[in-house]
Amino acid sequence: MNDDRRRALISQPQRRSLWILFLLLPAIVVMTLFVVWPLLSALRFAFYEFNGLSPSQFVGLENFRKVLFEEPFSDWTYNAFCHNVIVFFALMVFENGTAFLIAFALLKGLPGHRIHQVIIFLPVVLSSVIVGFLWKLFLHPMFGLVNGALALIDIQGPAWLGSESTALGSIIFANIWHWLGFPTLVLLAGMQRISAEVIEAARLDGAGDYVLLRRIIWPLIAPSVTIVCILTFIGSFNWFEIPYVMAGLTGSPGGSTDVLGLYFYRTAFGSVSSGIQDFGQGSALAVLMFLFVAGFSFVGLRFLRRREIQL
Amino acid sequence: MKNSSEWFKNGSIQALLVLNALIMLYPLVVMVLSSFKKNAEIFTAPFALPESFGFDNLQKVWDQTNFVRYMLNSLGVTAASIVLILVFGTMAAYAIARYEFRWSGAVLMFFISGMTIPLKLAIIPLFIQLDTLHLVDTYAGLVLVYVAMGLPSAVFIMTGFLRTLPRELEESARIDGANELLIMLKIMLPLARPAMVIVAIQNAVPIWNDFFFPLILITSDDLKTLPQGLTVFIGEFTTDWGVMFTGLTLAALPITLLYIVLSKQFIAGITQGAVK
Amino acid sequence: MRAFAGLLTAATIAWGLSAPFTYATDISFWTWRQEDKAAYNELFADFTKKNPDINVKFQSFPDENYPTIASTALAGGKGGDVIHTHAYGWLEQFVKSGYFVKQDASNMPSLANMSADALLSGTYRADSQVYSLPFASQTLGLFINKDVFEKAGLKAPTTWDEFIVVSKALKDKGVIPLANGLGTSWFNEMFVATFTGPLLGQEFVSDLKSGKATFKDPRYIAALTKLLELRAYMPTGFEGIDYSTAGQLFISGRAAMLAGGSFDISTYRAQNPKLKMDFIAPPAAKVGDIPQATKFFDGGYAVNAASPNKEAALKLVNWMGTKEFGDKFTALLGNISPIKGVDVKDPLLAEVAKLNETAMPHINVVYFRFEKPTGSELLQSGITKMMSGSITPEQLGGDVTNGLAKWYKPFQGK
Repeated sequence: MNDDRRRALISQPQRRSLWILFLLLPAIVVMTLFVVWPLLSALRFAFYEFNGLSPSQFVGLENFRKVLFEEPFSDWTYNAFCHNVIVFFALMVFENGTAFLIAFALLKGLPGHRIHQVIIFLPVVLSSVIVGFLWKLFLHPMFGLVNGALALIDIQGPAWLGSESTALGSIIFANIWHWLGFPTLVLLAGMQRISAEVIEAARLDGAGDYVLLRRIIWPLIAPSVTIVCILTFIGSFNWFEIPYVMAGLTGSPGGSTDVLGLYFYRTAFGSVSSGIQDFGQGSALAVLMFLFVAGFSFVGLRFLRRREIQL
Repeated sequence: MKNSSEWFKNGSIQALLVLNALIMLYPLVVMVLSSFKKNAEIFTAPFALPESFGFDNLQKVWDQTNFVRYMLNSLGVTAASIVLILVFGTMAAYAIARYEFRWSGAVLMFFISGMTIPLKLAIIPLFIQLDTLHLVDTYAGLVLVYVAMGLPSAVFIMTGFLRTLPRELEESARIDGANELLIMLKIMLPLARPAMVIVAIQNAVPIWNDFFFPLILITSDDLKTLPQGLTVFIGEFTTDWGVMFTGLTLAALPITLLYIVLSKQFIAGITQGAVK
Repeated sequence: MRAFAGLLTAATIAWGLSAPFTYATDISFWTWRQEDKAAYNELFADFTKKNPDINVKFQSFPDENYPTIASTALAGGKGGDVIHTHAYGWLEQFVKSGYFVKQDASNMPSLANMSADALLSGTYRADSQVYSLPFASQTLGLFINKDVFEKAGLKAPTTWDEFIVVSKALKDKGVIPLANGLGTSWFNEMFVATFTGPLLGQEFVSDLKSGKATFKDPRYIAALTKLLELRAYMPTGFEGIDYSTAGQLFISGRAAMLAGGSFDISTYRAQNPKLKMDFIAPPAAKVGDIPQATKFFDGGYAVNAASPNKEAALKLVNWMGTKEFGDKFTALLGNISPIKGVDVKDPLLAEVAKLNETAMPHINVVYFRFEKPTGSELLQSGITKMMSGSITPEQLGGDVTNGLAKWYKPFQGK
């Protein structure tokens, strides 16, 4: 059969090559023009000083040095980076942890589990802009729904988005509400792939829920866990829309919600009321963020994959 | 004994699930209800039903903003992007999956590596690039950027799917003398429809919801998409909460309705790639 | 009848002939002031009446994204023919890249109508040339809700001590004394400028310029420390009260005072036409001090160097520097035009204009926004921390000074 095919093709090799080229060309051209070239340019820009808005002179690693080691920029970079780290761990524990428990509860197939899947996934399809604005209104210190509810039980709610101690947590909460359905259903799908016999056998051996989770389900859904972790990592370090809508470009109050995405945007483009723009420093930040995310995703993926095999 | 403790446990799990469903749904219910309210009602009775289900706020949105325009723009841009992603992505995937050629592995890697790159970080040169092509502030420019972003995963998913199709069909058609184009269009692609639906939904949701690229690439008000328009709108109505909730409700409506109808495909589409 | 028909025919022919011969030029005006659309359209209609061959299209963008949109467009040789710019350092980055046309007596005779300190806001430091024709001065001071004060039987405060006494009395009556919050960072900076201005005085500004003083100076630290006293009179949860909520609190009468900008007078009036308000100088350090509001020039009108319609754009901008424009601009928008001899008919605005005569400059905006890190970035991020008590005024003063010393020579080594 394979011989037939080869014969048919060799008889007109040039037409075949042209045909393949025709199939590939549109996708490759679009990718090259709008992904590859801009990325390479961004890399180049990171090594230039910008005179206003156009590259003026090659400065080597100067932009990187400023972003990483020169105060106050380094403080701001570090401050934003720490928040990304907090966001990552908070999402791992609260979002993915909750998702894991809900997935396990849904696995039991209690009445209404199908409709629950539809409900929990609904916010995922909404725009981050909608979710951000919605929660910004709900969290308003005076007229918001949340403090309105607290007032009913005689608690004076804080200015959620306004005080340094609660702002980042509030935005993380909105993010969890927005995305919870995603890890839940990914993990649920992983659990559902475990064959019923395996679970049944464990049950017959007298395993309770905890033992079942710990010994059977956890190891067997390792691939789903890997994917959820990696996606959470990438998402946490590219976080932009929700904090942008809820906290504004400057990560208010007092930079307590500043994350790398906002800081990059502000550094590159400036903001009306405070900063001026610097494409060089902005590009350097972008390159560092890319290297960090890509590097750690790669290492993390290898580590988690190895773990999957061991489990 | 065991039965009753089992019953108790399932009961409490069920209760927690119901609570969770409420947390997920209630904010959206309030959003919809508040869209019928005036400021004073929202502030003094946030939990109450609206005094009347009038359309004052809707009227304001309709009369004073470009909302309908934004929605149509989003629709057009999303539809055009999806069509191009499907056409270009399937073509490339077909070449990689169904033919053996020298660089096929490298080409696939080229596309896959695109999946890991956040294009946002290259927005400055991307803008300059689009500008030299005279595509800034046009639908075409925005669509091409979305196509470029959607292609990697489309090629990846389609390649994986097309590879699973049996060779026999194709071979017998070839022996019958059908040309490659016909084989692709008439025989192979109809079989790939489920994968195409996945690719379409997987891309449609983020494109419909995207805020960042229109923010920078679109400047004319007439060309703005819905999430971007929503920020303009909220900037103009910051003090009128009723109108703001109406705007949010309207913006959420189309995709929510579609989701309710096609929830299975939506879930499959968005979790695709994470679930294998 | 026939004559009428003939006339009609002749008119039709004349119209048909004349139409193709008027080459109307369409130019666009880019701004972040979305809310000023109606007023500008009215002003542009006046311009088109005088220059029937030029039509002006108003295009506005959300203010938070305006720098991004304007700079990306200009970098690509696009953008509106006339660009509404912010002033001082913001302008400079655009001028450096050559995006704007230089304005001088030959192409912009109406520069002569501007005062020297106004022109400074549109001047590029490196060549001392003007690139953006100033459009408005803004004054920061204290809004007073007269009805609330009257009902409480109180008088608007003029000194810091009076301010505290009045605030205590208002608080006892269940009114929020001061509507300000810290939820919006640019508004924070104005809050600081408003209240510290009278405590610092003009001499401190000249000391900053000469390098005799920095923000570590005891005068500045003392002024910052005073701000901490205000916390007791701001709304509960003031850390999270943003600019628009503060405005709402004030115009609804739930708060009695608001430190804000003259640019909001017309907005507040529009939102509550029944509101009786006053705009006064912020509390002075002691009795008998001259009233010191804070003043800065908001920005100006620049001509895009890449515009294909430069002639028409220059014509428009020049017209925007005439008294005719300034009078109507001031009347319609409630902003004070910097054009000499402009009529300020509105009594409240006239008071603002009077405050301007003795006002302090908005220090950060006028002197410290030229390079990274800007004084604004440093102060805006630090002030919330100081007001919430996580850093001291000394630390804030130190942080701002050290940050600025990166590029501001007079601070280096101090």
